[in-house]
Amino acid sequence: MSINWPTACLEVVQEDPLVIKNPKTWHHNHSYGGWGKFFLGLREEKLLATRCTNLNCAEKRLWLPPRCECPDCWCETEWIEAPQQGTVYTHSTVTYPGELFKLPPGTPLISVEIEGVCTKMMSWLKEGKPEFGMPIKAVFNTEKPTNTILDLAWVPV
Amino acid sequence: MIKFGPGNLRIPKFEKPVYLVAGGMTDFRKRYPEKNSSELCTEAMRMAVEENDLEISAEEFRRKVNWCVYSQFADHFGDQLLAASKIHDYLGFDPLGNIEVKTGGATGGSSVLAAAQAVASGYADCVPVIGWERMDDVSTKVGNSYIASAACKDFESELGWMYAAYYALMAQRYQYENSVPHETLAKIACKNHEYAYYSPFAQNPGKYTVQDVLDNDLVSDPLTFLECCVMSVGSAVLILADEKTAYEMTDHPVQLKAICGGTHTLRTADRRNMPILLLPNETEETYKDYFTSRRQDWPGFSSFLASRMAAYLAYNMAGIKDPVEDFDILETHDAFTISDIQTYEDIGLRPYGRGREFIESGEGYFDGKLPTNLSGGLIGTMHSVGATGIFQLIEIMWQMQGKYDKFHGNPELWTRFGKKKPDDWKSLQLDNPKLGCAISHAGTGSHVTCSILEKA
Repeated sequence: MSINWPTACLEVVQEDPLVIKNPKTWHHNHSYGGWGKFFLGLREEKLLATRCTNLNCAEKRLWLPPRCECPDCWCETEWIEAPQQGTVYTHSTVTYPGELFKLPPGTPLISVEIEGVCTKMMSWLKEGKPEFGMPIKAVFNTEKPTNTILDLAWVPV
Repeated sequence: MIKFGPGNLRIPKFEKPVYLVAGGMTDFRKRYPEKNSSELCTEAMRMAVEENDLEISAEEFRRKVNWCVYSQFADHFGDQLLAASKIHDYLGFDPLGNIEVKTGGATGGSSVLAAAQAVASGYADCVPVIGWERMDDVSTKVGNSYIASAACKDFESELGWMYAAYYALMAQRYQYENSVPHETLAKIACKNHEYAYYSPFAQNPGKYTVQDVLDNDLVSDPLTFLECCVMSVGSAVLILADEKTAYEMTDHPVQLKAICGGTHTLRTADRRNMPILLLPNETEETYKDYFTSRRQDWPGFSSFLASRMAAYLAYNMAGIKDPVEDFDILETHDAFTISDIQTYEDIGLRPYGRGREFIESGEGYFDGKLPTNLSGGLIGTMHSVGATGIFQLIEIMWQMQGKYDKFHGNPELWTRFGKKKPDDWKSLQLDNPKLGCAISHAGTGSHVTCSILEKA
């Protein structure tokens, strides 16, 4: 019995020193786990946050991004819809994004301040020019969702 | 954690003094196909052992080693899990025990921390720390995606797949709160590119004007390319030992007085307001007028709690009262110009909101009160991530050993790296620096170590 040589041929990038091209074609099945509820909520135009259920916990505000357990007391949190209006806390327009970026270069990135939320979540501005303190409202990609955080964006009020 | 308990702020201590004995590096390049990672680490190891005037042979050194620490940020880049095992074998250290440390951009600092813990506890008495990064397997765009995998992939990585953008968000907020002229930020870039000009190890040296930096292409506003760290391939090796072993190898070890770590949320978004953790040179009076309508939070997006925590512990561990007065040399993790200004404040060179003064006063320059990043830093010389925190400590150690010229001015070293020593090369050797500090930093401040070195 003789086993044939492999038929796949790796491309040579350069001969000396020898550099070969290793292709990568597989995918990862990534689970959002308990946070999946947030991403499913985006499809229904809901901004789902969490709040600690421990009445003795000092943090009464909402977590957004959500957490299934409170970092201050490890108690379970409950899901609550966050306000869909906020303000621009900071912004930057990315000219040279990394390879996997699904939006065009020149997309303004923003961090969003929302009353009653203890975090300032990172997102993007779909319309207009960002300015500090600018009132904005959430918009949702419901037609053909990417099922990523990009399905949430903001526009000026 | 925004409220500390009594155990949380315990000051670390070493049971035994820890010393830095010798260090070595490759040069740093954007692409380095001529050598694989094992070869690069061996080259750095050989420089450490064979070119640092040690009083023992390379073979005697190999017989002394009893534990190794490996420092590599991302398996993604080299596409080889357990690369440390290959390198450990290649260096001939099997079957000695080893450990590989990973804390993002602070991997180098954390690896030295792990080695110091081994020496300080008596677990080991001679420990090489071997750091490297192989960042040239992929394009720069893919490399930036890999690095952004070290942001929160569920809620933040997708927003740019680019760490410079995450820093730019902080930069814009810092500017909104503090109004630092872009010219001041550009001066940091000019300084570090110029210091890199005198280093044969440097990847991105250059004599730039402030205008050159301001006119440079934006990566993510307000940061230009010349204000961002380089993506590098290369290696750095540092040898740690206890007192007895150190003096068997050299008469001029440098004592690692303290090395401490701090952390903060990987997502910048999740940083809640808390009271400012005060350094020995600050009081509550320092910040009585700090908060304004624009500056409502600490640490917010303008400050790094991880850096403040690491400095708090290290300063108290080493008895530092005032960093600008006490230190003679400093290496910061200048991944971006803005993060350098933020760090000046976090480590107490100036109170929060006044970091710009450190550069504008001239204190951070070669002839200033606290010369900073004479190595050329991450902007000018290298950010081969796993090697970076190690490279910083080696550069300070060489300064304290009076070896800046030996390792930067020797024309043969320039030739070894395929370069020509510049005709206008100048020595950046300081006059007998005795106390120094290095900051190793990850993420948008997810992990930070603060090291304090003292000439023995």
